[in-house]
Amino acid sequence: MKAAPVFEAGSHRWWIIYDQDEHRVIDSNVYVMESKGQSIILDPGGFEIFPQVFAAMVEVIPPSSLKAAFVSHQDPDIASSLPLWHACNDKMEWYVPKLWEGFIRHYGALNAPLQNISDEGGEVMIGGRRLEFIPAHYLHSSANFHVYDPEAKILFSGDVGAALLPPGHDAWVDRRDNTGRAFEEHIKKAKYFHERWMPSNAAKKNWIERVSQLDIQHLCPQHGAIYSGDNVKRFLDWFDKINVGTAII
Amino acid sequence: MDIQHIMGVVDASFAARQSIEKALRDIDRRALNAMVLVKRHGNALAGYGVVAQAFRERAAILKTSASHLQESIAPLIEAYMRILQHQRFVQSFQEMLSDSPLHGKACPNLISTQSKWQTTIHEEEATARKILVQLLEAVQTLQEGVEEQEYIVTNGRIEAALAESTGAPLMRVSRDMGEAVRTVAQAIRSYRHQLESLEHESSTRL
Repeated sequence: MKAAPVFEAGSHRWWIIYDQDEHRVIDSNVYVMESKGQSIILDPGGFEIFPQVFAAMVEVIPPSSLKAAFVSHQDPDIASSLPLWHACNDKMEWYVPKLWEGFIRHYGALNAPLQNISDEGGEVMIGGRRLEFIPAHYLHSSANFHVYDPEAKILFSGDVGAALLPPGHDAWVDRRDNTGRAFEEHIKKAKYFHERWMPSNAAKKNWIERVSQLDIQHLCPQHGAIYSGDNVKRFLDWFDKINVGTAII
Repeated sequence: MDIQHIMGVVDASFAARQSIEKALRDIDRRALNAMVLVKRHGNALAGYGVVAQAFRERAAILKTSASHLQESIAPLIEAYMRILQHQRFVQSFQEMLSDSPLHGKACPNLISTQSKWQTTIHEEEATARKILVQLLEAVQTLQEGVEEQEYIVTNGRIEAALAESTGAPLMRVSRDMGEAVRTVAQAIRSYRHQLESLEHESSTRL
């Protein structure tokens, strides 16, 4: 896997770690936000890809800077690496949906410091920057959160925006393309994922209404590629129009 | 494998790499400044021009050597993390067998699977050690490059003393060059110590 910068303003930085080398498990993106020497890792990934995520991460931040991890929901591709991260750094705080705490501990870190996020959401301060936990319940998990950084204008959107891309894929949906053609090409690879994994049109509409109020420059999904600039609105419009989950049974 | 030791080394090597990169950029910049100064003074500083040119060329070679360092560190860290990952399997089998010796009798596969993972870990440790040796060789090459650079800096000081009458601030330029080279030399030494402590740990374990 490799690390690429998403945002940088002084000591405030975001990276994406992407394009995993292990293809027997679903390809995942991991994000890191650093500010003033402290950092948080978002959806740190599955047990099987931990060595490559860790090796790529230490290209851009020292491991001792990790103060926290965010877990959007309970799936294994999100958090089954928890015991390994905990073995490396047992001071790291884990922000997890309250509903899933007892499930996430099944991954093998009974003593890890888990901080519950209640259904309403919340926030965390990392290196003086405030990150907001935005409720995204039923997108797809019944207790699910995204993370918004109002200064960087980044929304980490978990499985929303996910696409199933081949090995060697780029980290972004082509940002140089103003015509929308690159987006149209990319979104074909996201359609099945959203139709099948997102269970509820009502949850989707509710999320779009709330997220449309935010100033978002980069929408960063946990699979696939980042939507930047005009592609953010293109994605929200596209997501609004499609039927998902129970609506297509 | 002492994971906290590895974490300490990873942290230290991150800091050392950053320091090396910064110092190499600094060397490159100072080499360029020296070249510009020489051009401004024409033939009067021809001797120093040779030194400045050599300094710049060495700086480019150092950068290449440092990039080889960078290429080897990621596989080494990945190898260590894979060992950590697989030790989890061995530990969980060990816990089951420790809970009751009957588990091993009732299910002999537990013991053979545990032993299989143990073998895998030994192989991975050998791989990590091989990468570590390569990395230390790359550090050695980089150190030799820095020693060459130090030699050029010394020559620069001699040339600067000889050309003092031109009024060009060559002594200051040489001092800055020397400072930049010393910084990179220190960072590399500290990096090497970190890697050697890992090597020592893996040798004593084997």
